[in-house]
Amino acid sequence: MRKTAGRSLALAVLAALSLETNAVAQRGGPPGPPPTPRAAAPFDIIGQWVSVVSEDWRYRMTVPPKGDYGGVPLNPNGRRTADAWDPARDETAGEQCRAYGAAGLMRLPTRVRISWTDDQSLKIESDAGTQTRTISFGAPRAPGGDWQGVSVATWDRSAPVVGGGFFPGGGGRGGSLKVVTTRMKSGYLRRNGVPYSADTVVTEYFDRFDVPGGDSLLVVSTEVVDPTYLAQPYWTSSHFKKQTDTSGWNPTPCAVR
Amino acid sequence: MRRTLTAAASVLAACTVLVAQAPGPVDTPAPGFDISGYWTSPLYEDALERGAGPELGDYGGFPINEAARLFALSYDASRVTLRHHQCDGYVAPYSVRSIGNARAWEERDPHTQQLIAIHWYNQTFEGHRTIWMDGRPDPPAWAPHTWMGFSTGRFVGRALEVQTTHLKQGWLRRNGLPESDQATMVEFFVRHADHLTHTSVISDPVYLAEPEIRSTDFSRQPIDHQTWLFACDDGEQILDRAADLVPHYAFGENPFVNEMRDRYKIPAAAYLGGPETSSPDLLLRLASLTEADGVAKTRPAAGPRATSRAVDPQPRDGDVHVWPLRGSLFLLAGDSGNIVVQAGDEGALLVDSGAGTLAEKTLARIRQLSDKPVQYILNTGFQPEHTGGNVVLRASGGDPSVRGSFFALQFADAGVGATIVAHQNVQNRMVAGKRPAAGVPSDTYLQERRRTFHNGDAIEMFWQPRAVTDGDSIVHFRRADVIVTGDIFMTTQYPPIDVANGGSVQGEINALNEILGRTVYQHQEEGGTIVVPGHGYVSDEHEVVEYRDMVVIVRDRVQAMIRKGATLDQIKAARPTADYDTRYGSTSGAWTTDRFVEAVYASLPRR
Repeated sequence: MRKTAGRSLALAVLAALSLETNAVAQRGGPPGPPPTPRAAAPFDIIGQWVSVVSEDWRYRMTVPPKGDYGGVPLNPNGRRTADAWDPARDETAGEQCRAYGAAGLMRLPTRVRISWTDDQSLKIESDAGTQTRTISFGAPRAPGGDWQGVSVATWDRSAPVVGGGFFPGGGGRGGSLKVVTTRMKSGYLRRNGVPYSADTVVTEYFDRFDVPGGDSLLVVSTEVVDPTYLAQPYWTSSHFKKQTDTSGWNPTPCAVR
Repeated sequence: MRRTLTAAASVLAACTVLVAQAPGPVDTPAPGFDISGYWTSPLYEDALERGAGPELGDYGGFPINEAARLFALSYDASRVTLRHHQCDGYVAPYSVRSIGNARAWEERDPHTQQLIAIHWYNQTFEGHRTIWMDGRPDPPAWAPHTWMGFSTGRFVGRALEVQTTHLKQGWLRRNGLPESDQATMVEFFVRHADHLTHTSVISDPVYLAEPEIRSTDFSRQPIDHQTWLFACDDGEQILDRAADLVPHYAFGENPFVNEMRDRYKIPAAAYLGGPETSSPDLLLRLASLTEADGVAKTRPAAGPRATSRAVDPQPRDGDVHVWPLRGSLFLLAGDSGNIVVQAGDEGALLVDSGAGTLAEKTLARIRQLSDKPVQYILNTGFQPEHTGGNVVLRASGGDPSVRGSFFALQFADAGVGATIVAHQNVQNRMVAGKRPAAGVPSDTYLQERRRTFHNGDAIEMFWQPRAVTDGDSIVHFRRADVIVTGDIFMTTQYPPIDVANGGSVQGEINALNEILGRTVYQHQEEGGTIVVPGHGYVSDEHEVVEYRDMVVIVRDRVQAMIRKGATLDQIKAARPTADYDTRYGSTSGAWTTDRFVEAVYASLPRR
């Protein structure tokens, strides 16, 4: 009798969950095509943003001395490479943009303009080094191998939600722009030659926060994984303020010193 | 079988609710997310600052104002050898940047499972934050400030948004860069799998020209770190040091200010901070910054005095508000000067009576706290904001301890009305000021202390000779461990040293040290002995020690200029209070910054 009662309860639960699933699926009529990434954006990322350099100030506002790589989890190979940094060599080689690649660009003092190229891709332009990153939802459109590599985006709504489990609490609003970048040309995490390799994978989360009565902020949390030069993943978070106009935009070429 | 059907019906009902609550319109409440667990912040950002400690003089990227920069340049790190600074905790805005482990957990109502609070515990200085999620309002402006402040949170999209008020004075950076007790903070916690990004926006009208923005990363740890404590007890680090010595540097004389320039070839005007130093536009100006630009940032600029940007802690709503202190002690806030009530079977005992403009409402509040008449009124000084209610409140009560005693043989009104107790000089000043006789203290003492045991507590009054006047007393409730300071200490303005009525800056410093000699903190220089200022919010020894430091530092600056032959006008023009004016300064009203400097000058020797 106990076993029968237990089985009845299980069946009732399954039936109930089935009802719930159907109810959700059927709400609003027959399913249409999924919204484009642009239409599905959980927040407005478009506009001109100016970096607020309140952390790692000396490392970002100036070119630190050679060998000054405090805070970066370099492995011995990475330290050796950083210690061998030669800015003149970069200039001679025409590689002044090594510190402006995707793994380091958002950490530089810069303004960025973010816009939709089309419904499937975003563009991030920086005035520092006049760089352009193309971020595609879905299949990448370029082969990579340059400073900015190949960036693939998704809207990340995967934060662990309270109430998850057997009776899910709902997806809720909000989310992050998650960008995974690979196939970059090797470059610098800092302007004094702290290296990352072509094998690097950069994962970024872009989050927008609207301060009550204040600024809108864009916070870019960045994980750099580099088996060649880093002993462990390197996390930073860089923040930007939304500008209400386009003032201050000052395109400057890449500079080594 | 009946039970099974009932259970199935419950499940169906639950699913119906889930369907009804499924995400849809934009105004659907955010469901929140879980940050419970163990977290560690890798020191990849600001590694030097957060590890060994920041460079001296490095304020680059901080949107500080002049007052903050001058405060930091005046700061001598040996100040932490002072007993009352040795265990200073970190304020919440700085704590999140500290080295060490963190732990988060939820507090839920056991019956409804509604989220009441999220707790965040930092190993460093054992900072325990409670983020209230139940919609409770902020405490009033006269409530105590703490290292962690008062925080309320809500889920916005995929972020936990937290707002914090009621912070203590602390650090923006560990090299002396201050965060004031007027700072507030908005934070956003957002979680990406096992990574947590914390963004804070700190607003500080006293020390910041613009909000300070920081973002900090945490990695989730799968197991307990097992290291959660941060033991600290103060002790005697430097023997035989004078009690009124506070290590600091004169304006323009910080010996370490050029270290950054010499070591890294960065212009001082850049690393000495300011809102312009966090912008990419600084790069356009960096090469053109001169030595003179840097020097100019190390001294007070010429120009008008700044004034306090602090929140007025007085209610000023025409009412008197009750704030529980400890045991049977309560603060009555509203009638200008603070009033403390001790309720009990023997009759109410008051410390001070306010300005008297709200005396009837004060009396009504006292009657809510005690059904016994007011027996004693203890006056900390003669100032009208503390004695103005004497007449009304005295008349409302009585002192049964003298009725039927030999006093009754001498005074027809013995026991009629409450007994007003104060130092003899309070009586002298009030009589000289032709204040109503019914409000003048009748029970006075001449030296050291007056003591009584009332309502189960040992109550002591200690005379503080030549502090803000010559008749000041502090009142210590020993059992409750509450000290009422009168105008010797206030959170609203510079001490109103009344030289004409016997006050002096040295006596004021001695009195503040006397208070600090009686306080005991509960944990990391916080809590423990409650200190009720003459005006302002309920405090503890940390607020007193910061105030003491300020008075000592200003005294030293003025004394140094006197020794160099400066006139009073030259001293005022040099702005010896420049790093404190945005907190305590005033250019109008009864007690201006100029009057404070004049009082300091007038009470110091000419040598």
